[in-house]
Amino acid sequence: MHLLSQLLGRPVRGETNVPLGTLDDLVIRMEEGPYPSVTGLVVRAGRRRFFVPANQLRELSGVALLSSARVDLKQFQRREDEVLLGRDVLDHQIIDIAGHRVVRVNDIQITQVDASFRVVGVDTSLKAIVRRAGPRALADRIIGGQIIDWANLHYLAGTAPVRLKVSYDRLADLHPVDLARIVDALSLRESATIVAALDDETVAETLEEVSDSRLADLIEGMDQERAADILEEMDPGVAADVLEDLDETVAEQLLAKMEPEDAAEIQTVLAYDEDSVGRIMITEIVRVAEGSTVGAALALLRSLDEVPNPLLAIYVVAQDQPETLQGIVRLRSLILADPATPLQELMDEDMPTIHPDEPAEQAARLLAEYNLLAIPVIDEHEHLVGVVTVDDALAVLMPEIWQRRSSRMFH
Amino acid sequence: MKTPDQTLAPPRDGKATGRPKPSLRARLLLMMAVVGPGIITANVDNDAGGITTYSVAGAHYGYSLLWMLGLVALALIIIQEMSARLGVVTGKGLADLIRERMGIRATLAIVGVLLIANLANTVSEFAGVAASMEIFGISKFISVPVVAVGVWLLIVKGSYKFVERIFLVASALYLTYGVSGVMANPPWMEVLQASVTPTFHFDSNYIIIVVTIIGTTIAPWMQFYQQASIVDKGLRVEDYAYERLDVIIGSVFAVVIAAFITIACAATLFKHGLRIETAKDAALGLGPLAGSNAAALFALGLLNASVFSAAILPLSTAYVVCEALGWEAGVNRNLKEAPVFFGVYTALIVLGAGIILLPIKSLIQAMLASQTLNGVLLPVILIAMLVLINDRELMGDYVNGRVFNIISWAMVVVLIGLTALLVITSVFPNFLT
Repeated sequence: MHLLSQLLGRPVRGETNVPLGTLDDLVIRMEEGPYPSVTGLVVRAGRRRFFVPANQLRELSGVALLSSARVDLKQFQRREDEVLLGRDVLDHQIIDIAGHRVVRVNDIQITQVDASFRVVGVDTSLKAIVRRAGPRALADRIIGGQIIDWANLHYLAGTAPVRLKVSYDRLADLHPVDLARIVDALSLRESATIVAALDDETVAETLEEVSDSRLADLIEGMDQERAADILEEMDPGVAADVLEDLDETVAEQLLAKMEPEDAAEIQTVLAYDEDSVGRIMITEIVRVAEGSTVGAALALLRSLDEVPNPLLAIYVVAQDQPETLQGIVRLRSLILADPATPLQELMDEDMPTIHPDEPAEQAARLLAEYNLLAIPVIDEHEHLVGVVTVDDALAVLMPEIWQRRSSRMFH
Repeated sequence: MKTPDQTLAPPRDGKATGRPKPSLRARLLLMMAVVGPGIITANVDNDAGGITTYSVAGAHYGYSLLWMLGLVALALIIIQEMSARLGVVTGKGLADLIRERMGIRATLAIVGVLLIANLANTVSEFAGVAASMEIFGISKFISVPVVAVGVWLLIVKGSYKFVERIFLVASALYLTYGVSGVMANPPWMEVLQASVTPTFHFDSNYIIIVVTIIGTTIAPWMQFYQQASIVDKGLRVEDYAYERLDVIIGSVFAVVIAAFITIACAATLFKHGLRIETAKDAALGLGPLAGSNAAALFALGLLNASVFSAAILPLSTAYVVCEALGWEAGVNRNLKEAPVFFGVYTALIVLGAGIILLPIKSLIQAMLASQTLNGVLLPVILIAMLVLINDRELMGDYVNGRVFNIISWAMVVVLIGLTALLVITSVFPNFLT
């Protein structure tokens, strides 16, 4: 086990202990498996920096010992996809995927595996800082701190001055809330690089959890076609909030680029005040005409391309008038009933409803008071326009969650 | 919301995907969006320490220090322009860059310097709070703790963004100095002549005020703060021309205000041989404009500037420390997630306020001393910036030109020279005379 900080600057010797110079840096390739191997050494001798391929490296402890005394003294030139451990990784930011945070590399752990040397972990502890900055006597007493396995790290592609192929699969697998946390912690430019590499759906889910100002900056900074695609994937309420934070002309341009259906939906939501029921309600609900049976309703549900999530109840509406709510049938009753039962028998007709202009808090209060999972939203024309679920209401009741999403401060 | 006339317009130069040349309106909008970090930073720059320093400079030295302000403005523009360039080209904060390009030891040294300078500045902001409230007859043992707790809550509870605008608008109170300076009817020919005639004395008080003026106008925190705002706004190289304009306007504005504070105090206090011992004395500079209300007007301006900066400085410092050493930061994190961030932030406020509550003879002296320290520490930050901006791997073609470098390094040399003189004249008062 070696620590990079204790290798850099140490002497490099050839076969018969001939001094060749000092170790300036280690070169790695990123694409090889979970633990990148050292492909070579950059050795400094006076003003010259030259490259020694790793297959000439025999030992790395204390002094770097080479297997031959013959080296090519040509000035070192970095090639594409080559990353320098000391220059491009040490002291730089890196994503700790398992910890969902952005950390700084205070030291790098290298291990000999068979014939090759591999990067196995990164030390992010304060101990490593003291070890590197303090006097040597102190440094030797401080061994490892928090070592993070390299396999759990995501190297930021923008860090090294070369074009790198970095896999984003592991980031895409993160929970949107955790990924959002990382996107918020990075600089705007780094976070834009990550957002550019992920698919629309993942980005939409993630951005819904990102702070408002970061979200607006990211959307404004990206290609408009892409921004429109991402907004389409978002919950219309959130998309409406985003558009409101943008410059008016940009918002209009984005709406014009979106699918007309999605744009119309967002514009409906935009008509309601911020913090009103209209903003937090979901508009995707399952409507079934009165007179249907349980079996018919279940068959309808199964035939849907997109089933609302969460699915808490189905809404029984008047024949030929899908806006007129007759009553609701909860999922529980629906599943337990015999398929031949008419929906009318299971239907709850006497439930509280709420107007879209009412404050969102009011919906939360009703949900809590009546022990409901969802509450239908009925507008002034007696039309069913959506429902507020307990999920959405929870965010209103827990202001600290909102605060997380609120403003990202300047530095 | 659709814009049919736009969709009907034929694609320009045959390329449907090509970005059309922005119209004048679009360019103005872009400019308004970009103009910001430089002007805001310059505004925060006229804080308690600044107002006090310029007042004392005018009251004790008359117009004789005005010539310096032109050079200070030039230096400020050069330094803030470099910070802006570093920001737009790299997309990273200054602390970030120092850590990545200069290593751990340099980082610790610079973070240490900034911690000391910003603690001194925070002390001076609370001195400003204490001094301004004393004008209203409120004891510092009430005003300082109240403001300290208030500022802490304002940031931690996340309601700062809302109040920021109020602070910014209230900053316009500085403009009263301009009016007052004119109404004092100073001998304009003499003012003009003094502005272009360099004079210098080798006595320690004079050198102290020179270093103090530089330190308060070009404070070390400004470069970190401005670069962070630029990076946070996502400004890019394409926005650079506008951003440079923002920096120049901000710097010139800050120094013009400084000049007017100096003139107002020179025309009133210096003329009558009065010295500034308390904030009330400094308020007399506003006499020609506000008459008997001068003290109240001065107190309000000083209070606003002090609270504004007392909120920003500790926060900006906490961000820099965490950014450089890799700890989580942000007011939207909780104490468990970001202990160092909240620790540094809280410690600065507690220490800053606490030091002012100690038996201090003169609040004015406390404010001046903190600004002198700024001036002494400035070269350290400046050298780091020069190393970074000349790093071709980092900056590409945006490295400094030769002339720019000569001027910048000359500035460093002058600053270090002044600090050396300051030390020598303080230890051996008669060494040079």
